[in-house]
Amino acid sequence: MRRTPNAVDFWRGYALITIFINHIPGIYFERLTHRNLSFSDSAELFVFLAGWSLGYLVGGNDAPKSTTRLMLRLGARAFQIYAAQILISSIAIAILATTAYLTDNQLILEWHNAAAVFLDPALTHIGLVLLTHQLGYFDILPLYVVLMVIAPLIALIYRFARPLLLPLSLAIYLAALIVPITVPTWPVPGQWFFNPFAWQLIFVLGFALSRDDGVGGFVQRHINVIRLVALPILVLGTVVVVFSLFPDPTLFPEPKLLFLNGKTFLTPVRLLHFLALAAVVSITYPYIARSVPWLVAFLSVLGRNSLNVFCVGSVLSLLGQVVRYLYSGSFGVDTAFVVAGIALLWLTAWVSEWRQQQTGA
Amino acid sequence: MRHAAAALITLATAVALSWAACAQSAPDKREPDLPPLAKQCGETSAREMALPNSARALAKDKKLKIMAIGASSASILGGMREGHPPLLEQLLERMVAGLDVEIINRGVSGELAGDAAKRLKVEVALNQPDVVLWQVGTNDAFAQVPVEDFQETVGEMVRWLRQHNVDVILVGLHYMKSLVKDVHYQAMRASLQHIANAENVPRIGRYEAMEVIARTMRESGRRDPGDFGSTEAAYDCMAQYVARAIAVGLFAKLPKP
Repeated sequence: MRRTPNAVDFWRGYALITIFINHIPGIYFERLTHRNLSFSDSAELFVFLAGWSLGYLVGGNDAPKSTTRLMLRLGARAFQIYAAQILISSIAIAILATTAYLTDNQLILEWHNAAAVFLDPALTHIGLVLLTHQLGYFDILPLYVVLMVIAPLIALIYRFARPLLLPLSLAIYLAALIVPITVPTWPVPGQWFFNPFAWQLIFVLGFALSRDDGVGGFVQRHINVIRLVALPILVLGTVVVVFSLFPDPTLFPEPKLLFLNGKTFLTPVRLLHFLALAAVVSITYPYIARSVPWLVAFLSVLGRNSLNVFCVGSVLSLLGQVVRYLYSGSFGVDTAFVVAGIALLWLTAWVSEWRQQQTGA
Repeated sequence: MRHAAAALITLATAVALSWAACAQSAPDKREPDLPPLAKQCGETSAREMALPNSARALAKDKKLKIMAIGASSASILGGMREGHPPLLEQLLERMVAGLDVEIINRGVSGELAGDAAKRLKVEVALNQPDVVLWQVGTNDAFAQVPVEDFQETVGEMVRWLRQHNVDVILVGLHYMKSLVKDVHYQAMRASLQHIANAENVPRIGRYEAMEVIARTMRESGRRDPGDFGSTEAAYDCMAQYVARAIAVGLFAKLPKP
């Protein structure tokens, strides 16, 4: 049965649209997304809400799903995301190849880490399948696959050793930053853009905060106080970002990753600012739902079908880059593309739900 | 006839690359005895300018830490062959006796200058390189980034690197025949040239070199090498250009203040 519009789907829909826009570098509307005011961007929101959604899958404490059923469902979800990654990567490669061919500009083949696909196809295709080679802007689903693969473990720890979940996640995060621990890429040497050892923390936090007990219960009971604490953090962080006041990163002591602003490792400054943002901005949802219900319904339908919408959005973003290259991006071209793109995202969500209704899923 | 064409190409290539080099300062007499570039790469391509921080690292412990950043960084390190260090590392260690080169590749293909600049500060803090190779401009041109924004971003970052005792080598935009009349692309090229001149940092003139090679090959009746910029052989040429720029920079005289 279709979920009614809710805050999680609404914010996920918002994240999907901003990811679609932010993944078209140079487009006019990227200056309007919240990453211009925050250390974090929509990637943090997306992964946090993925963790929150895991809470739905695990079910309530009063009527927990059977462990076997849960494992099978999470495993199937991981495979579904993996298949989506392979599909959109293949489409992206085809878009780059087509554009290069039609424009007689083979430099397009070097966009977004794609050069190795064309220069060293044998090894790079192995890398694509193993997720050790990722195209630029097509690198968040591999993180999502890893998170879904470890999701059963998170659910099991939550069920059978609940107090260990957050400390364990935090310990892995700190180890990743202090050692540091990375996931290497292959065949092109490098590292995963989204380090799963670091990013698992925000996923686990999303899951933990979705629960009515433990940290989640504590936050729910004290949300107003937490918002009061979060507000100055949010304002201070925004001032630092807007006025470029972040200290010189070379001056920080070791281990530097604890103090730097880095997306790959989801460094503490980004995480803290995101949590402050989430705490403060979450207060607005009931007002938005009352004032602009159509907007809530619109974004929620995107959020309910996040994987399909994300995949279409990723491909559209790449097409947007091509369009901007071909038609010398202008405000008019940018506006037309964003409007058409958002309409297509909505159509994707609508078709997904229509199909679910037809199949009775 | 074929030999005449080959000779013509070699001569034109040498002239073109020498012109592309646009040397700003006379090379130091102590500069290393550099081996010739591979035939298809021409004679020289880099502006010969001092790299004082790298020279200090060399004098201190004969180690040189090079960080590659920007779009398609693999193309300036030389073709990546499984199980072998990047060609740039091999070339430099061959050119400068006893030098131990460490290469850190932090390139993100397709990345714009603004995003690279943000990451670069973090990467410099984490890795403390002696020299940064920054291939920049092509993707900004494709993404229609305004030239003024590009110039401000790159200029500011170059100054920041130099203030933090890190040498910079800018690697210029690619050459493609289809982009010769692209106004924005050409403005971006001019902008990068301007930054290199204003900030007094070396710039590898890839575009100029490749442009003349392509023209010469066309004039001699050979197939237009439209895909030269994307081949592994071209990557190897880039590694040779960069290696020479660094090797010369290690021994070049600092300009008088």
